[in-house]
Amino acid sequence: MAFVKRSQTTTVGQDERGYSRDFEGLCAELEAPNPTARRWAARDLAAHPGAAQVLIARLEVEPDAAVREAIMISLTEIGDAVTVQGLVKCLRSEDASLRNEAIEAMKHLPDTVAPVMAGLLADPEPDIRIFAVNVLESLRHPDVEQWLIEVISEDAHINVCATAVDLLGEVGTEAAVGPLEALKRRFPAEPYIEFAADLALRRIRDEG
Amino acid sequence: MSTPQKRILVVDDAATVRMYHRSILEGAGFEVTEAINGIEALEKALTRPFDLYLVDINMPKQDGYAFLRELRKQDIPQTPAIMISTESESRDRSLAYVAGANLYLVKPIKPHELLANCRLLLGLAGGAE
Repeated sequence: MAFVKRSQTTTVGQDERGYSRDFEGLCAELEAPNPTARRWAARDLAAHPGAAQVLIARLEVEPDAAVREAIMISLTEIGDAVTVQGLVKCLRSEDASLRNEAIEAMKHLPDTVAPVMAGLLADPEPDIRIFAVNVLESLRHPDVEQWLIEVISEDAHINVCATAVDLLGEVGTEAAVGPLEALKRRFPAEPYIEFAADLALRRIRDEG
Repeated sequence: MSTPQKRILVVDDAATVRMYHRSILEGAGFEVTEAINGIEALEKALTRPFDLYLVDINMPKQDGYAFLRELRKQDIPQTPAIMISTESESRDRSLAYVAGANLYLVKPIKPHELLANCRLLLGLAGGAE
Protein backbone atom coordinates (compact mmCIF):
# COMPACT_ATOMS: atom_id res chain seq x y z
CA MET A 1 0.00 0.00 0.00
CA ALA A 2 1.47 3.34 -0.94
CA PHE A 3 0.31 5.82 1.58
CA VAL A 4 1.60 9.30 1.99
CA LYS A 5 1.34 11.69 4.88
CA ARG A 6 -0.97 14.38 3.67
CA SER A 7 -3.16 17.05 5.12
CA GLN A 8 -6.85 16.29 4.98
CA THR A 9 -9.15 19.26 5.12
CA THR A 10 -12.64 17.84 4.89
CA THR A 11 -14.54 17.31 8.12
CA VAL A 12 -16.66 14.49 9.41
CA GLY A 13 -20.37 15.28 9.51
CA GLN A 14 -22.02 15.89 12.88
CA ASP A 15 -24.14 12.77 12.40
CA GLU A 16 -20.97 10.71 12.01
CA ARG A 17 -19.36 12.14 15.14
CA GLY A 18 -21.04 10.27 17.92
CA TYR A 19 -18.34 10.70 20.56
CA SER A 20 -16.18 13.42 22.04
CA ARG A 21 -12.78 14.04 20.42
CA ASP A 22 -10.75 13.20 23.51
CA PHE A 23 -8.76 9.96 23.68
CA GLU A 24 -11.55 7.88 25.17
CA GLY A 25 -14.11 9.26 22.72
CA LEU A 26 -11.89 8.57 19.73
CA CYS A 27 -11.18 5.03 20.93
CA ALA A 28 -14.93 4.43 21.18
CA GLU A 29 -15.50 5.94 17.75
CA LEU A 30 -12.85 3.64 16.27
CA GLU A 31 -15.41 0.87 16.86
CA ALA A 32 -18.30 2.79 15.27
CA PRO A 33 -20.38 1.06 12.57
CA ASN A 34 -19.82 3.97 10.16
CA PRO A 35 -16.46 3.59 8.34
CA THR A 36 -16.19 7.35 7.80
CA ALA A 37 -16.41 7.91 11.55
CA ARG A 38 -13.81 5.19 12.14
CA ARG A 39 -11.49 6.72 9.57
CA TRP A 40 -11.67 10.14 11.23
CA ALA A 41 -11.15 8.62 14.65
CA ALA A 42 -8.09 6.79 13.33
CA ARG A 43 -6.74 10.00 11.86
CA ASP A 44 -7.34 12.06 15.01
CA LEU A 45 -5.77 9.42 17.25
CA ALA A 46 -2.41 10.29 15.67
CA ALA A 47 -2.34 13.25 18.10
CA HIS A 48 -2.37 10.86 21.07
CA PRO A 49 1.04 9.23 21.64
CA GLY A 50 -0.52 6.38 23.62
CA ALA A 51 -2.88 5.38 20.81
CA ALA A 52 -0.65 2.83 19.06
CA GLN A 53 -2.05 -0.14 20.99
CA VAL A 54 -5.66 0.64 20.20
CA LEU A 55 -4.89 1.40 16.55
CA ILE A 56 -3.01 -1.88 16.13
CA ALA A 57 -5.86 -3.79 17.76
CA ARG A 58 -8.34 -2.19 15.35
CA LEU A 59 -6.08 -2.87 12.36
CA GLU A 60 -6.30 -6.60 12.97
CA VAL A 61 -10.08 -6.64 12.49
CA GLU A 62 -10.75 -3.56 10.33
CA PRO A 63 -12.39 -4.56 7.01
CA ASP A 64 -12.43 -1.11 5.34
CA ALA A 65 -9.37 -0.27 3.22
CA ALA A 66 -9.66 3.50 3.77
CA VAL A 67 -9.82 3.07 7.54
CA ARG A 68 -6.82 0.75 7.44
CA GLU A 69 -4.91 3.33 5.44
CA ALA A 70 -5.81 6.04 7.99
CA ILE A 71 -4.66 3.75 10.80
CA MET A 72 -1.33 3.11 9.07
CA ILE A 73 -0.77 6.84 8.51
CA SER A 74 -1.47 7.54 12.19
CA LEU A 75 0.80 4.70 13.28
CA THR A 76 3.70 6.06 11.23
CA GLU A 77 3.10 9.49 12.79
CA ILE A 78 3.16 8.00 16.31
CA GLY A 79 6.06 5.72 15.35
CA ASP A 80 6.99 4.50 18.83
CA ALA A 81 8.22 1.11 20.01
CA VAL A 82 4.64 -0.07 20.63
CA THR A 83 3.81 0.76 17.01
CA VAL A 84 6.74 -1.28 15.73
CA GLN A 85 5.86 -4.21 18.00
CA GLY A 86 2.34 -4.16 16.63
CA LEU A 87 3.53 -3.96 13.03
CA VAL A 88 5.87 -6.90 13.61
CA LYS A 89 2.87 -8.85 14.86
CA CYS A 90 1.07 -7.97 11.61
CA LEU A 91 3.94 -9.56 9.65
CA ARG A 92 2.79 -12.88 11.10
CA SER A 93 -0.80 -12.38 9.90
CA GLU A 94 -2.38 -14.74 7.38
CA ASP A 95 -3.80 -11.64 5.66
CA ALA A 96 -1.38 -10.81 2.82
CA SER A 97 -2.63 -7.24 2.46
CA LEU A 98 -2.16 -6.59 6.19
CA ARG A 99 1.38 -7.97 5.99
CA ASN A 100 2.17 -5.74 3.02
CA GLU A 101 0.67 -2.69 4.73
CA ALA A 102 2.82 -3.39 7.79
CA ILE A 103 5.95 -3.69 5.63
CA GLU A 104 5.18 -0.35 3.95
CA ALA A 105 4.58 1.34 7.32
CA MET A 106 7.80 -0.03 8.80
CA LYS A 107 9.81 1.44 5.91
CA HIS A 108 8.84 4.88 7.22
CA LEU A 109 10.20 4.22 10.73
CA PRO A 110 13.96 3.65 10.38
CA ASP A 111 14.91 4.77 13.88
CA THR A 112 12.37 2.60 15.69
CA VAL A 113 12.66 -0.36 13.32
CA ALA A 114 16.48 -0.49 13.43
CA PRO A 115 16.67 -1.82 17.03
CA VAL A 116 14.43 -4.79 16.17
CA MET A 117 15.88 -5.52 12.72
CA ALA A 118 18.59 -7.91 13.90
CA GLY A 119 15.93 -9.95 15.72
CA LEU A 120 13.67 -10.04 12.66
CA LEU A 121 16.53 -11.15 10.42
CA ALA A 122 17.23 -13.99 12.87
CA ASP A 123 13.57 -15.04 13.25
CA PRO A 124 13.03 -18.82 13.08
CA GLU A 125 10.37 -18.29 10.35
CA PRO A 126 11.94 -17.73 6.91
CA ASP A 127 8.88 -15.77 5.78
CA ILE A 128 9.45 -13.26 8.59
CA ARG A 129 13.10 -12.92 7.56
CA ILE A 130 11.96 -12.31 3.97
CA PHE A 131 9.52 -9.63 5.13
CA ALA A 132 12.33 -8.04 7.17
CA VAL A 133 14.45 -7.84 4.02
CA ASN A 134 11.44 -6.31 2.23
CA VAL A 135 11.35 -3.62 4.94
CA LEU A 136 15.01 -2.83 4.21
CA GLU A 137 14.08 -2.03 0.61
CA SER A 138 13.50 1.64 1.33
CA LEU A 139 14.49 1.94 4.96
CA ARG A 140 16.77 4.94 5.10
CA HIS A 141 19.31 3.60 7.54
CA PRO A 142 23.11 3.43 7.27
CA ASP A 143 23.26 -0.26 8.23
CA VAL A 144 21.06 -1.55 5.37
CA GLU A 145 23.90 -2.83 3.18
CA GLN A 146 25.64 -4.49 6.14
CA TRP A 147 22.41 -6.24 7.18
CA LEU A 148 21.95 -7.52 3.62
CA ILE A 149 25.54 -8.75 3.44
CA GLU A 150 25.03 -10.65 6.70
CA VAL A 151 21.87 -12.23 5.28
CA ILE A 152 23.51 -13.50 2.09
CA SER A 153 26.56 -14.67 4.06
CA GLU A 154 24.78 -16.49 6.86
CA ASP A 155 21.13 -17.29 6.12
CA ALA A 156 20.59 -20.91 5.13
CA HIS A 157 17.25 -20.32 3.38
CA ILE A 158 17.54 -19.70 -0.33
CA ASN A 159 14.53 -17.40 -0.61
CA VAL A 160 15.75 -15.15 2.19
CA CYS A 161 19.09 -14.87 0.38
CA ALA A 162 17.35 -14.35 -2.99
CA THR A 163 15.31 -11.46 -1.59
CA ALA A 164 18.45 -9.88 -0.13
CA VAL A 165 20.32 -10.24 -3.43
CA ASP A 166 17.51 -8.44 -5.27
CA LEU A 167 18.01 -5.50 -2.94
CA LEU A 168 21.80 -5.60 -3.03
CA GLY A 169 21.40 -5.15 -6.77
CA GLU A 170 20.06 -1.70 -5.96
CA VAL A 171 22.03 -0.60 -2.89
CA GLY A 172 25.15 -2.78 -2.94
CA THR A 173 28.66 -1.32 -3.11
CA GLU A 174 32.14 -2.85 -3.50
CA ALA A 175 31.69 -4.27 0.01
CA ALA A 176 29.07 -6.67 -1.35
CA VAL A 177 31.19 -8.12 -4.19
CA GLY A 178 32.95 -10.82 -2.15
CA PRO A 179 29.77 -11.93 -0.33
CA LEU A 180 27.86 -12.09 -3.65
CA GLU A 181 30.57 -14.28 -5.20
CA ALA A 182 30.51 -16.48 -2.08
CA LEU A 183 26.72 -16.78 -2.29
CA LYS A 184 26.96 -18.13 -5.84
CA ARG A 185 29.39 -20.79 -4.58
CA ARG A 186 27.06 -21.61 -1.68
CA PHE A 187 24.06 -22.23 -3.99
CA PRO A 188 25.76 -23.56 -7.14
CA ALA A 189 22.71 -25.35 -8.54
CA GLU A 190 20.28 -22.43 -8.26
CA PRO A 191 19.85 -20.53 -11.54
CA TYR A 192 17.98 -17.68 -9.87
CA ILE A 193 20.78 -16.98 -7.39
CA GLU A 194 23.33 -16.96 -10.21
CA PHE A 195 21.13 -14.65 -12.31
CA ALA A 196 20.42 -12.18 -9.50
CA ALA A 197 23.97 -12.18 -8.10
CA ASP A 198 25.47 -11.63 -11.56
CA LEU A 199 23.05 -8.76 -12.15
CA ALA A 200 24.00 -7.16 -8.83
CA LEU A 201 27.72 -7.66 -9.48
CA ARG A 202 27.43 -6.10 -12.94
CA ARG A 203 25.70 -3.04 -11.54
CA ILE A 204 28.22 -2.61 -8.73
CA ARG A 205 31.17 -2.95 -11.14
CA ASP A 206 29.58 -0.59 -13.68
CA GLU A 207 29.17 2.04 -10.99
CA GLY A 208 32.58 1.38 -9.43
CA MET B 1 10.57 -27.07 -31.36
CA SER B 2 9.11 -23.63 -31.88
CA THR B 3 6.54 -22.35 -29.40
CA PRO B 4 3.56 -20.41 -30.75
CA GLN B 5 3.72 -16.80 -29.60
CA LYS B 6 1.59 -16.75 -26.47
CA ARG B 7 1.32 -13.66 -24.29
CA ILE B 8 2.24 -13.90 -20.62
CA LEU B 9 1.82 -11.19 -17.98
CA VAL B 10 4.50 -11.40 -15.27
CA VAL B 11 3.37 -9.67 -12.07
CA ASP B 12 6.02 -9.14 -9.38
CA ASP B 13 7.26 -6.12 -7.43
CA ALA B 14 10.88 -7.33 -7.58
CA ALA B 15 12.56 -6.12 -10.77
CA THR B 16 15.14 -8.92 -10.68
CA VAL B 17 12.44 -11.58 -10.51
CA ARG B 18 10.60 -10.02 -13.44
CA MET B 19 13.82 -9.92 -15.47
CA TYR B 20 14.59 -13.55 -14.60
CA HIS B 21 11.17 -14.78 -15.66
CA ARG B 22 11.23 -12.60 -18.77
CA SER B 23 14.60 -13.97 -19.86
CA ILE B 24 13.39 -17.56 -19.51
CA LEU B 25 10.03 -17.04 -21.18
CA GLU B 26 11.25 -14.86 -24.04
CA GLY B 27 14.06 -17.34 -24.62
CA ALA B 28 11.36 -19.94 -25.22
CA GLY B 29 9.43 -17.74 -27.65
CA PHE B 30 6.76 -16.27 -25.40
CA GLU B 31 5.80 -12.59 -25.49
CA VAL B 32 6.16 -11.10 -22.01
CA THR B 33 4.61 -8.02 -20.42
CA GLU B 34 5.45 -6.92 -16.88
CA ALA B 35 3.44 -5.36 -14.04
CA ILE B 36 4.79 -4.33 -10.64
CA ASN B 37 1.64 -4.88 -8.56
CA GLY B 38 -1.92 -6.10 -8.78
CA ILE B 39 -3.39 -2.74 -9.71
CA GLU B 40 -1.09 -2.28 -12.70
CA ALA B 41 -1.64 -5.91 -13.67
CA LEU B 42 -5.42 -5.53 -13.66
CA GLU B 43 -5.19 -2.40 -15.82
CA LYS B 44 -3.06 -4.29 -18.34
CA ALA B 45 -5.24 -7.38 -18.21
CA LEU B 46 -8.35 -5.34 -18.95
CA THR B 47 -6.63 -3.46 -21.76
CA ARG B 48 -5.41 -6.45 -23.76
CA PRO B 49 -5.87 -10.19 -23.49
CA PHE B 50 -3.15 -12.46 -22.14
CA ASP B 51 -2.86 -16.21 -22.45
CA LEU B 52 -1.35 -16.74 -18.99
CA TYR B 53 -0.72 -14.83 -15.77
CA LEU B 54 2.35 -15.40 -13.62
CA VAL B 55 1.62 -13.73 -10.28
CA ASP B 56 3.60 -13.12 -7.09
CA ILE B 57 1.67 -13.03 -3.80
CA ASN B 58 3.34 -10.35 -1.69
CA MET B 59 3.28 -7.03 -3.48
CA PRO B 60 2.56 -3.49 -2.30
CA LYS B 61 -0.67 -1.68 -3.29
CA GLN B 62 -2.48 -4.88 -4.28
CA ASP B 63 -1.27 -8.40 -3.49
CA GLY B 64 -1.53 -11.38 -5.80
CA TYR B 65 -4.60 -12.86 -4.11
CA ALA B 66 -6.54 -9.61 -4.49
CA PHE B 67 -5.45 -9.29 -8.13
CA LEU B 68 -6.64 -12.79 -8.99
CA ARG B 69 -9.95 -12.30 -7.18
CA GLU B 70 -10.54 -9.09 -9.16
CA LEU B 71 -9.45 -10.75 -12.39
CA ARG B 72 -11.88 -13.62 -11.90
CA LYS B 73 -14.70 -11.16 -11.14
CA GLN B 74 -14.10 -9.48 -14.50
CA ASP B 75 -14.74 -11.15 -17.81
CA ILE B 76 -11.48 -13.09 -17.58
CA PRO B 77 -12.43 -16.25 -15.73
CA GLN B 78 -10.80 -18.82 -17.99
CA THR B 79 -7.28 -17.51 -18.54
CA PRO B 80 -4.88 -19.71 -16.56
CA ALA B 81 -2.89 -18.19 -13.72
CA ILE B 82 0.18 -19.44 -11.89
CA MET B 83 0.75 -18.03 -8.44
CA ILE B 84 4.37 -17.86 -7.33
CA SER B 85 5.55 -17.29 -3.81
CA THR B 86 8.34 -17.84 -1.33
CA GLU B 87 5.72 -19.27 1.00
CA SER B 88 5.48 -23.04 0.97
CA GLU B 89 2.81 -23.56 3.62
CA SER B 90 -0.26 -25.50 2.52
CA ARG B 91 -2.31 -22.58 3.89
CA ASP B 92 -0.84 -20.32 1.20
CA ARG B 93 -1.56 -22.86 -1.52
CA SER B 94 -5.17 -23.11 -0.42
CA LEU B 95 -5.58 -19.33 -0.42
CA ALA B 96 -4.09 -19.16 -3.92
CA TYR B 97 -6.49 -21.74 -5.32
CA VAL B 98 -9.46 -20.09 -3.62
CA ALA B 99 -8.41 -16.75 -5.18
CA GLY B 100 -8.46 -18.33 -8.64
CA ALA B 101 -4.99 -19.72 -9.31
CA ASN B 102 -4.64 -22.82 -11.48
CA LEU B 103 -1.21 -23.69 -10.14
CA TYR B 104 1.01 -22.73 -7.20
CA LEU B 105 4.80 -22.75 -7.50
CA VAL B 106 7.36 -22.00 -4.81
CA LYS B 107 10.32 -19.72 -5.56
CA PRO B 108 13.00 -19.95 -6.73
CA ILE B 109 11.78 -21.60 -9.89
CA LYS B 110 14.15 -23.40 -12.19
CA PRO B 111 13.81 -22.51 -15.89
CA HIS B 112 12.71 -25.98 -17.04
CA GLU B 113 10.09 -26.08 -14.27
CA LEU B 114 8.68 -22.69 -15.23
CA LEU B 115 8.53 -23.51 -18.94
CA ALA B 116 7.03 -26.96 -18.42
CA ASN B 117 4.24 -25.61 -16.24
CA CYS B 118 3.50 -22.67 -18.52
CA ARG B 119 3.29 -25.02 -21.51
CA LEU B 120 1.09 -27.37 -19.55
CA LEU B 121 -1.43 -24.66 -18.70
CA LEU B 122 -1.31 -23.28 -22.24
CA GLY B 123 -1.97 -26.71 -23.70
CA LEU B 124 1.31 -26.73 -25.57
CA ALA B 125 3.56 -29.69 -26.22
CA GLY B 126 6.36 -30.14 -23.67
CA GLY B 127 4.22 -29.50 -20.60
CA ALA B 128 5.18 -30.70 -17.12
CA GLU B 129 6.26 -34.31 -17.18
